[in-house]
Amino acid sequence: MTSQAADARSGPGRLQSIGAIYETDWSAPDLRRRLQLALAGIWLLDAVLQFQAFMFSRGFSQMLAGTGPGNPAVIADPISWAAKIIAQNGTVTNAIFAAIQLLIALGIAWRPTLRLALGASIIWSVGVWWFGEGLGGVLNGGGSPANGAPGAVIIYALLAVLLWPTVTRRPGPFAAAWSTGAGVARALWLVLWGSLAVMALLPATRAAKAFGGMVSGMASGQPGWLAAIDNHLGSFLTSNGPAMAVVLAVVLAAVAISVYLPPPPLARAGVVLAVLTAAFIWLGEGLGGILTGGGTDPNSGLLLALVAVAYWPVAARSAVAPGPASAAAAAQSDLAPAQSPSHRQGA
Amino acid sequence: MGGETWLAWTFAIIMIALAVYCLARLLISWRQHRPSDHQVDALHVLMGVAMAGMLVPRLRVFYAGGWEVVFAIATAWFGWLAIREFRGERTVGGQPGHHLQHVVGSAAMLYMFAAAGSMKTASGSAISGMPAGGAAHFPTLALIFAFVLFGYVIWTTDRLTSLAPVAALARRAPVSAMVGAGAGAGTGGVAVADADQGQPSASEVAAARPGTPLSPSLAACREIAMGVTMGYMLILMR
Repeated sequence: MTSQAADARSGPGRLQSIGAIYETDWSAPDLRRRLQLALAGIWLLDAVLQFQAFMFSRGFSQMLAGTGPGNPAVIADPISWAAKIIAQNGTVTNAIFAAIQLLIALGIAWRPTLRLALGASIIWSVGVWWFGEGLGGVLNGGGSPANGAPGAVIIYALLAVLLWPTVTRRPGPFAAAWSTGAGVARALWLVLWGSLAVMALLPATRAAKAFGGMVSGMASGQPGWLAAIDNHLGSFLTSNGPAMAVVLAVVLAAVAISVYLPPPPLARAGVVLAVLTAAFIWLGEGLGGILTGGGTDPNSGLLLALVAVAYWPVAARSAVAPGPASAAAAAQSDLAPAQSPSHRQGA
Repeated sequence: MGGETWLAWTFAIIMIALAVYCLARLLISWRQHRPSDHQVDALHVLMGVAMAGMLVPRLRVFYAGGWEVVFAIATAWFGWLAIREFRGERTVGGQPGHHLQHVVGSAAMLYMFAAAGSMKTASGSAISGMPAGGAAHFPTLALIFAFVLFGYVIWTTDRLTSLAPVAALARRAPVSAMVGAGAGAGTGGVAVADADQGQPSASEVAAARPGTPLSPSLAACREIAMGVTMGYMLILMR
């Protein structure tokens, strides 16, 4: 179904109303769909960052190889193998990597390929988590909330699972629960933020000057304002590192258990605290180095904030009711050709 | 830091192709009296040529400083249209927010040319406008522009399925929109033809009805390609 092809007041050769070219049965994005689009936007940023000149250089493969040491051989050896291949074929492999991420981004954004793209993003994320991030430093003790642990890319996979489109929405008090159910979604939240709390207490963060050193190290190559923030924050954390690591761990633990708090306002306070903590982490990460020319992604802070928003409590009525856009997107991802035969016609 | 030469050429070729496509839209719209957003089409002709010239110096066609004037005017013009949209006044293009992305795009182009002029260009760099050593003023602004453009790219991609195919538009083309070419000229009516009978092909229907808008889906794909390319160029601006 379409509205009029052109507005009645349109003159010759002039399109007076863009609304006239829309299908009338298209549903506007609901909360879950908007979160999916935000995820697609971050994938798009990743893809473009992957096109930077540094990623085509040997520095990129060396960066990947650097994630292997300290991991068990079964993890580290394949990382070295992959890094060698990338070093030998830097241009081709990196162009493929960037293209894959671009396709994932546009695939999530285009409704007919939503499920395919989300599924591909999970596979791709797990692969990169291993071969590109060395499992985020989880196994070698180098992981810290301030350096992207448990691995930014695995959070993409987590978001893909939480935002998976379903025609029938499961009851849940937040968007992240609509595909997996509230119990599973809460457990995933607890594992994510709880693991961050534990990592904040490990020597990689808690050792003297470790926390501050990580943050100060992010200042190099950043614009003035961000370098100043990271330098000042790094100096403060260097002076108070072990204590601040404990504070961070307590805050992260509070965020972790907040998902089990009763509905608003306590649950909302937990999400707000999670977003603020994610913002702090992102600043500490120097926005993932995306302003330095060497960042491959925005790192974990931005993704943690997106995860938090997916847990924002919504009204019970809209939580139970089927979501029009998500359902439409889910249906279109499977059934678009059958349901919308007009889409197959030449445009 | 400049980009890869082959990548710059790839994006430049895409931009030239899009500029040619937009020019073709303008010509077809003019010759066949088929509705299109002429201002946006014209803007994208300019953007395509300008971006190709930034990506590959030998494709530059304008004197230094000229593009800044062009995109300053474009930013002001689309800004004015956007303000009118938000006031609820009728403009070409219609809905609130339609022109806002073109304001951002024009302003991003203006920023890139202004920033490129203030930066030391690497000798031998394929990307003439790209900084060679992180000397751009306000690099954060480039990132903000890129974020907004990526947002529009994703938003536009999401809405692709909302755009009616040309065949569907042609079947519902109001007779009043047909002007010239002998097709319903002077009828003055707003009758919506029932073209479901006989099932002609999309191209036949569109050709028979000059009031049929040019493909909105292809126009959206053009926006997506331009947004990605401009975002790439902005990300390199540090």
